[in-house]
Amino acid sequence: MLELLATHYAYALMFVLIAIGLYMIIANQNLVKKVIGVSLFQTAIFLFFISMAYVEGGSAPIVPADETPGELVVASPLPQVIVLTAIVVSIALTAVALSLVMRIYAEYGTLREDTLTEVRADE
Amino acid sequence: MSALAYALVAFVLATAIATALFRDVLSTIVVFGAYSLGMAILYTYLLAPDVAMTEAAIGAGVTTVLLLLTIARTTRPSPDQLFERLDVPAVVAVGAFLLVAGTQVLPEMWAVGDPTAPVWSNAEVSQYYIQNTYADTHAQNAVTAVLAAYRGFDTFGEAVVVFAAGVAVLLVLKREVFV
Amino acid sequence: MADDVADTYTESQVIMTAVKVIAPFTLTYGMFMTLHGADTPGGGFQGGAIVGVTILMLAFAFGIEPTRRWLRNSVLVSLVTGGVVVFTGVGLATIALGGNFLEYDRFSEIGIAGKWGMEAIEVGGVSLIVSGVVITLFFAMAAGFTAERGPTATDADRGGDD
Repeated sequence: MLELLATHYAYALMFVLIAIGLYMIIANQNLVKKVIGVSLFQTAIFLFFISMAYVEGGSAPIVPADETPGELVVASPLPQVIVLTAIVVSIALTAVALSLVMRIYAEYGTLREDTLTEVRADE
Repeated sequence: MSALAYALVAFVLATAIATALFRDVLSTIVVFGAYSLGMAILYTYLLAPDVAMTEAAIGAGVTTVLLLLTIARTTRPSPDQLFERLDVPAVVAVGAFLLVAGTQVLPEMWAVGDPTAPVWSNAEVSQYYIQNTYADTHAQNAVTAVLAAYRGFDTFGEAVVVFAAGVAVLLVLKREVFV
Repeated sequence: MADDVADTYTESQVIMTAVKVIAPFTLTYGMFMTLHGADTPGGGFQGGAIVGVTILMLAFAFGIEPTRRWLRNSVLVSLVTGGVVVFTGVGLATIALGGNFLEYDRFSEIGIAGKWGMEAIEVGGVSLIVSGVVITLFFAMAAGFTAERGPTATDADRGGDD
């Protein structure tokens, strides 16, 4: 078990972070904290992609200016590109979510999910 | 796996748990900023400097600032205790998820950094990019080459998504200009 | 409360001095990463984000409202729209030269190395869009929703619409 954790540390961390993110989305009543939970979940997925691209004993994906580079040990660039664009999309997603939270607060005057359910039920 | 990686994993894990458990929203946001920074350093350790720079600027910088603005514009409930009460049904649910993932999925995955893992070693995708990036695009940074040249159309979609999100925020906040 | 964008602002000598020292360096670093992204770690996304964060830092140190007045709306709109237009324009130009969308090698027919097409996307497209959108999101969120309708908006609107 310990050996598995030592060789799969990044993936194990990814699963724990996904669990924490899910817990925040389910259990926290405050809408801002739910958005933080979504962000945390996203970074767990980013970590998954990055650790897939990682190669032991390699270097960052910079290839030398040579038409035939030969045997290169650098990290795989493709998962990194996907994460790079995903991070920028994630900030856009967070901003849209937070602006919706602001709208909800302006309409109902609360950020707590349980209070919000009560107010909505009264109407 | 070196001592640095252990320290980074421990730091990220500790800040993530603190993010979930702090009751005060302001503390949560600050700890979440520290978490993003730790994550950026972990990305650097995992040979992704491009991603680390973006995460440090956007995850630790912009996300924290937007979250702070949100509680400044809405409300920050005064905390009556330091930590949240644990929600037992939610803990059971995510615990079940962790149990299944840890015992069934994790042993089936390739070890981190294994050079024989198909993600890294397949000749058609990863190795093709690594071998042919300079000949095809005359850029030494393989990440930029894949981003702008090989997958330019994909990047075009992403750029338009980001543009659309800017428009969406203005629509939700019912503004025509960014007053 | 109508102009309460600035009401969360506290003038701090420490932050202002620190930002005055740091801001030129982060701006230069962001531009370096954008312009030198083809050969070293960096590129449009990273450089654009850092340039955007520099503006956010200035706004935090010197107040959001003065920064917003200094950086006019039209500048931001033209940054973001300009980025999308450059990106689409380069793509369509390659089609006009008989290739596929973003097939940079077609530029060699008119005497431009294909590499410059990629640089144009990175510098003129992605970095402009990312930096513009980061600043836009910040100013939009800073303005919030209640300010437009005055101080009683939260009470008057509660349960109003539906």
